[in-house]
Amino acid sequence: MNAHDEHRVNILLYLDNELRGQELEYLLAHLDNCADCRRLLEEERALSNLLHRTRPLYTAPEPLRARIAAAAGPPAAFGDKPKRKHEHLLRFGWRNAQCSGVRWMTLAAMIIVVVLGLTLVPTVVRHAEAATFIDTAVTTHRAYQENQVPLEIRSSSPEAVTAWFAGKVPFQFRLPSSQSSPVGHPAYALSGARLVKFKNENAALVTYQMKAETISLLIASDESAVAAGGDEIRSGNLTFHYNTRAGLNVITWSTHGITYALVSSIHGSAQHSCLVCHQNMADQNVFK
Amino acid sequence: MFLKPNTPLAADIVGVEHINGLFSYALVLTRNRSEAEDLVQETYVRAIGAMGRLRPESNVKIWLFTILRNIWLNQLRQRRTAPQIVEMDVEGINVGIGTKTSDDDPYALYVSTLERNQVREAIDQLPADFREIILLREYEELSYQEIAAILDCPTGTVMSRLARARAKLRALLSAAWQTAVQSGKEVIE
Repeated sequence: MNAHDEHRVNILLYLDNELRGQELEYLLAHLDNCADCRRLLEEERALSNLLHRTRPLYTAPEPLRARIAAAAGPPAAFGDKPKRKHEHLLRFGWRNAQCSGVRWMTLAAMIIVVVLGLTLVPTVVRHAEAATFIDTAVTTHRAYQENQVPLEIRSSSPEAVTAWFAGKVPFQFRLPSSQSSPVGHPAYALSGARLVKFKNENAALVTYQMKAETISLLIASDESAVAAGGDEIRSGNLTFHYNTRAGLNVITWSTHGITYALVSSIHGSAQHSCLVCHQNMADQNVFK
Repeated sequence: MFLKPNTPLAADIVGVEHINGLFSYALVLTRNRSEAEDLVQETYVRAIGAMGRLRPESNVKIWLFTILRNIWLNQLRQRRTAPQIVEMDVEGINVGIGTKTSDDDPYALYVSTLERNQVREAIDQLPADFREIILLREYEELSYQEIAAILDCPTGTVMSRLARARAKLRALLSAAWQTAVQSGKEVIE
């Protein structure tokens, strides 16, 4: 191990708060004089910061949380035979649980049928409605690409497009203002917008261009449009739904009475689509 | 002296304070949602059953993570003699994030979600021993000594494995983001 490797090890220990005493003093003194090690420290710190921003890595599903909370129960529940009670509560309904009698299995099957009936039907309906919105977003996106639905306003000004929609759609929304990049050239450009129909209501189609890629945003009232299904990721009060249709990435979400569908064909993930709004915002370092 | 059932520590064990961490740990070990849920449930079953034998000075978090890992290792041993059905469903996992950005800007939340997905995908590509050590250090903020206790290995092993895991993870994340950076440059040029 050469001296540089040793410093690399100590930098990691330092970041993990595991370096003490003389070794810590040596490292701090070395960092004052070594640009390479300072850069290494910043790289390692950046990685750690990124990971910390994504905490928790996963969140336990509510049903699991509820099962465990119910089984844990109030402290008073811990009597002379806590183990058996909680084991039973936790293991009941367990995937691998084995019911000892046919009657229990029959009863369990009946309960499952009823519960599935009560829960699945509304879910299926909701997902069907969500699929309709996604299909409309994709169809509209394709039609725009093929010049079948020309823009009614051509402008690169978010303010102008926002103003154009006032009174034309049954909801109020505001496109984020564009911001210039550090080098003065935005990575995307707002192309324009037009009205489209969705379930007999006016919806807004806003289009962006990013080099050769077209990104479209279909915006509708959540009374007519539903965001559901796909790969769901919850973030705060929002749930994003990731879908793929005919080679297009579609991300839908609802907030403040409005449902959005962002459609693009950008290769890989939908990451580039974020540049539409976030190219130069405070969170731009996500893309670096 | 052993723990009495109604002590604050007992409530801590049976509460759900550590459930996100345990579920994340279970997922990085199994990479399977169903197995992860089972693993967490079984962990609580064992913990509640053994709670009376836990000393008040014990670190409950370390104890729970150790139980989970031991159960998983036992399951692996049992599977060696049984037919295996491998189900890799991490990509389709529908789990909440539970954090939010500094404001309610939906776009900011959206970007945060994408960032999280990339990190998840990169971690998922790591070998199991790298995945778990990244989780324990970076997400659970356990010390090297605590990690060594859970993994039942020397602290030096934790140190070296963590360094290799970070290097690998950084390479994976850099590769994932290279396309975005390159694309941005091309547009600007």
